[in-house]
Amino acid sequence: MESSNSATFEGLLKRGELIESVSEMTPDYLRELKHTLIVSGDTELISAPAYYLAARKAPSVNAFMTGIAIIQDELAHAHIAYHILEDLGESQEALIFKRDPKAFRYPYAFDVPLESWTELVVANAMYDQAGFCLLGDIHEQCSYGPWKRGLVKVMAEENFHLRNGRNWSKRISQAGGAAKEELQRAVDWMFPLTVEWFGLPDNLKQHSAQLDYRLKGLTNDQLRQQWLSTVVPFMESIGIQVPAHQEDSHYVLDYPFPCTFDAEAKRWDVNDPCTWDDVLARWRARGPRNAEMVALFQESFSKFEVQT
Amino acid sequence: MSPDAAPTPTLPRERGREIPEKGREISSEERIWSALNEINDPEMPINLVDLGIVYGVVLEGRTVRVRLTFTAMGCPASDMIIGDIRERLLAEPGVDAVEIDVVWDPPWSSSRLTADGRDALLAWGLSV
Repeated sequence: MESSNSATFEGLLKRGELIESVSEMTPDYLRELKHTLIVSGDTELISAPAYYLAARKAPSVNAFMTGIAIIQDELAHAHIAYHILEDLGESQEALIFKRDPKAFRYPYAFDVPLESWTELVVANAMYDQAGFCLLGDIHEQCSYGPWKRGLVKVMAEENFHLRNGRNWSKRISQAGGAAKEELQRAVDWMFPLTVEWFGLPDNLKQHSAQLDYRLKGLTNDQLRQQWLSTVVPFMESIGIQVPAHQEDSHYVLDYPFPCTFDAEAKRWDVNDPCTWDDVLARWRARGPRNAEMVALFQESFSKFEVQT
Repeated sequence: MSPDAAPTPTLPRERGREIPEKGREISSEERIWSALNEINDPEMPINLVDLGIVYGVVLEGRTVRVRLTFTAMGCPASDMIIGDIRERLLAEPGVDAVEIDVVWDPPWSSSRLTADGRDALLAWGLSV
């Protein structure tokens, strides 16, 4: 039984066809798909409290509405991923409300608080651009049909977030003075955090089951390059400096990658390069606001539960 | 459709899309409609004219006045839409000023979508 299922699975994957149900999957594929969906769902979910804390600093009613609409979109995107996970046999309730904060699998960047409207719009311009690259790749390549189809609207909505990030970044830069300096400071700490968002460089990553299973199509470095190729020219076009430049057809970072980061001070020490083991240890320990961010959506869950 | 059914509203999109007869010069107002036709809604893959949120356009001298509504009073994209209209119309020759009058009467409903707009939203997965 297992071997015939495995043969069907290999055939579908080889022919570039979509996998539609658990019965067509191998246990390894199912595990890898769930892992990828959890990372995606957790990332979308945690962006809601992270963005909310900054959206409260919106400079106008309309800007606040835009911020809240983006948060609503992110929650909906998280819901798509968790809903699919439920179809695959996981419990949404357990995943969202009963996991330890440290067990969430979202990028470290969201553990560093966004504390102003400026930091929120830079997140829209850079973090949402990272999400756009990662999800765009999954949308194009993903071998699991229900997720591929679920991402059509997600991509359109991420565009709206990018637009908010870019429009406001441009506007703040044009304002000049202290406003532009604040924008530059935000980019200074958020840019390298987004660069590392894409994970280990390809030369250190021996094998990717996600690529083998066509859960994604591009490697970490290819996705990182794609992100750089949109963010670097945009930031330069609005007069904001970023530590990267183009050489031929690819982008090169102007600082040691990776290097050490002081999350409390939101400062990178480019004179103190570190290893990827150090980075992985920092990620595993999570950042300063991990528990607080998760508590924002977990704390009231059991409040209205009927006691038995 | 029965003869008693409500008349189809005159949709601005139809005016904006008029193809001029050969040799006839396009009026300035038509040009404005056609420019508005190029502006997409920031959230959905549909242009503002097909979406039916432009209620009227008047060109007086070098000033364009646009009567505009939104699909919801809490539209989170309203600033972006207004900014896009201003930027695009100011790029039209002979336009120096753009005044946008946001109106809520008549309220927008999906009946204001053009046929193309309806198709675009259906294709995107929105039931209209």
